Amino acid sequence: MDLHKVRRLAGVLVASQLRSGRSTSNPRSLFGQPRILWVADLVLFLAPVALLGQSFLARAPPVATAAAILNGLAPFLPLSAVGVVLVAGTLFELSATARFSGSDAANWLPITPGEYVAGSTSAIAFSYSPAVALLLGIALPFAARLDAWPLYLVCALLSAVALYEGAFLVEMVRAASQRIGAAASGRRGTASFVLRAVVLVLVILAFDLALNPVFLFAAVHGLATLPAITAAIPLLWASQALDAVASGAPFLAAAFALGQLAFVAGLGVLAARLRSRYWAPAPVEVRLAEHVYASPHPWLAALGLSRTESALAAKDLRGLLRRRELLPVLVVPIVLVLLLAIEGGAFGTFGVILWIGWVAGFFGLLVGASSVGQERRGLQLLFALPVTDRDVFRAKTVAALIPVVLGSALMAVAIDTWFRMPPVEIAASLALTVSVAVCLVLWGLVFASRFSDFQERPRPQFVRPGPMLAATGSGIVLLAAIAVPGALAITGPVSAALLPATGAAVAAVAIGTLAHRFARTGFARLFRELPF
Amino acid sequence: MAALPSAPTSPTSNGTALEVDGISKSFGATRALSAVSFAVRPGEIVGLLGPNGAGKSTAMKAVLGLLRPDTGRIRVLGRSIGDDPVGLKSQIGYVPESPSLYEFLTGAEYLDFVADMYGLPPERRAERIRPYLDGLELAGHEDALISSYSQGMRQKVALIAGLLHRPRLLILDEPLNGLDPRAARVVKDLVRERATHDRVGVLFSTHVLEIAQAICDRLVILDHGTVLASGTVDALRAQAGLAGSGLEDVFLALTGTGDLSDVVAALGR
Repeated sequence: MDLHKVRRLAGVLVASQLRSGRSTSNPRSLFGQPRILWVADLVLFLAPVALLGQSFLARAPPVATAAAILNGLAPFLPLSAVGVVLVAGTLFELSATARFSGSDAANWLPITPGEYVAGSTSAIAFSYSPAVALLLGIALPFAARLDAWPLYLVCALLSAVALYEGAFLVEMVRAASQRIGAAASGRRGTASFVLRAVVLVLVILAFDLALNPVFLFAAVHGLATLPAITAAIPLLWASQALDAVASGAPFLAAAFALGQLAFVAGLGVLAARLRSRYWAPAPVEVRLAEHVYASPHPWLAALGLSRTESALAAKDLRGLLRRRELLPVLVVPIVLVLLLAIEGGAFGTFGVILWIGWVAGFFGLLVGASSVGQERRGLQLLFALPVTDRDVFRAKTVAALIPVVLGSALMAVAIDTWFRMPPVEIAASLALTVSVAVCLVLWGLVFASRFSDFQERPRPQFVRPGPMLAATGSGIVLLAAIAVPGALAITGPVSAALLPATGAAVAAVAIGTLAHRFARTGFARLFRELPF
Repeated sequence: MAALPSAPTSPTSNGTALEVDGISKSFGATRALSAVSFAVRPGEIVGLLGPNGAGKSTAMKAVLGLLRPDTGRIRVLGRSIGDDPVGLKSQIGYVPESPSLYEFLTGAEYLDFVADMYGLPPERRAERIRPYLDGLELAGHEDALISSYSQGMRQKVALIAGLLHRPRLLILDEPLNGLDPRAARVVKDLVRERATHDRVGVLFSTHVLEIAQAICDRLVILDHGTVLASGTVDALRAQAGLAGSGLEDVFLALTGTGDLSDVVAALGR
């Protein structure tokens, strides 16, 4: 393995990552250079050292307290390093635009798969190292207070190894998601998309559960009573090693630490093999079927769309199920619904109805807001076609409403039934959820038509960050204005339902009408001039 | 304009720069290549022609080791690409049809990275890269991000990346895509110069038949994954029974699309 090539490749990937996420990509700026991450590491490491060190000088904590904190923090550190890299890396890799996530640019260069994997994983590990630097900075004053330098040094080493552990796993997920879909069904696009969606749902769910105190307590309790099982889980070996160092068992610590190193090395070999196997991208397969051309979307025409509008809407609907950058838009509501199903027992009927409304509204806002920016520079083609702003507005609205209304309605009925609500409540909840969804789709379109971001980025943001923040904030307020009185009307006594029900209905009509008007004028403005 | 650098003359070889021997490749039910054979000798420019979807890019990817053929054998500079992919890639210059470059590097950073990958010593990079930047009129743009480049500028960067390490085999997949006439002329002349003086073997894919006729010593016509015909332009004319005709007529006759009047009439309705 040529380490010089590995280092150069890692530098290129980190620089690309840093520059691509910035709105002004000046290559000479310090923020576009990999060394900014060294600065970030240093700052994040020294800041807690300085802050905690100062308070330690003023009043050192008792040894027992410091020991409890350090012994709790140290084993957590490598585990958190793996978690951060795996979750963030997987999220970003799986939602990245194809042209940025591919490794085509390196395919014909004289680089071995092992060198590519080493470079790519180094870039991933380096990118997330500031998180570990921060935790190590927090741990340092406690280690100094206890003079626990062996524990601290082993912790630092294993945390660095854990960064690679997470990075290798990300690399494996990337390789698998590139091609397992093809192997599974032969229909590369759809299968690959579904696989990515499933992986993404599982990762986000796992992350949420990992941060859920109730679940964590149960897991830790379970692990504590089953030491034999924890010893068999390689992901926990680093933590076990640090536990052993803290309890003065050097041989056990060495065994677990070596086991951890061997495990990570094994992951590296596996990642390189996967990369080698799926080294080249599969060529796009074009299938042509012979048939007479006819409008294939009679059901869209039945909704009142013209042939042009139907074609535009159908294009967007297909894209929603095929474009990997739209994956998070679909995955986030699924995760939220699954969380509700797992944890919703404690919410009560009011909480469940509100949660469903929140998920539907959030889904609607995301789909609506991503409607225009997803065109990227392809928007120029739309402008060049003989279509009016009205055509595009109607097509975009219908294309956003169909998945959101259908998905929200299905979710409301399924979840309400799951929690055994009576039919009347289910019907009322369904009406409320659909109302919220429609209003928030239109609200998302307001921002999409006025503040879309058409730049090509690895992770498209569809709407510029500031306006998206405003869309989210205002969307939550609007959502609450409809959903809270609505949920009160459904779950409260029948005698007191009229006022909140009327309030919810009035809010929905007012918000929907205003949002429709703003979105319509937004599309008219958009069509006056190309936005780039 | 600074003179573009030339490659050191490689040892005269009686062997082939590239030998493709009966390769086949299928993707599921689709047969992309079927027993395809051709060779490129040192100093020879071989044009790979064919309609869209004929298998040209698949063949080129197989030559580069990016796709493993189901059957058959590929030898680059006398060695199997599978035996030493990295070593042989160091001897190959490849310009893809749609170059994937690292968009958020500057042109200069990208070329420096590629030079590093090919093991070009830092002290020799500037003298290699600068003439290309000047010759292809990229000088002055090299410190801008590639993401801000036009299609032609990207193509020029990809061309420089494929040439700067002085390969012994050039694989050019539609290399003139997006180039302005001046740059296209520079590239054509440079390719011919490399082949003639430095004995570089060139596999050149293009849809522009005038270019193929002007630059290539021999042509290989692929259709539906099989070699329909190969040889010099005169040999292909003879094979098509169209002595004295242009390459376009020969190509259309060989690929069975000679009479297009029905198509034109249908489209004109």
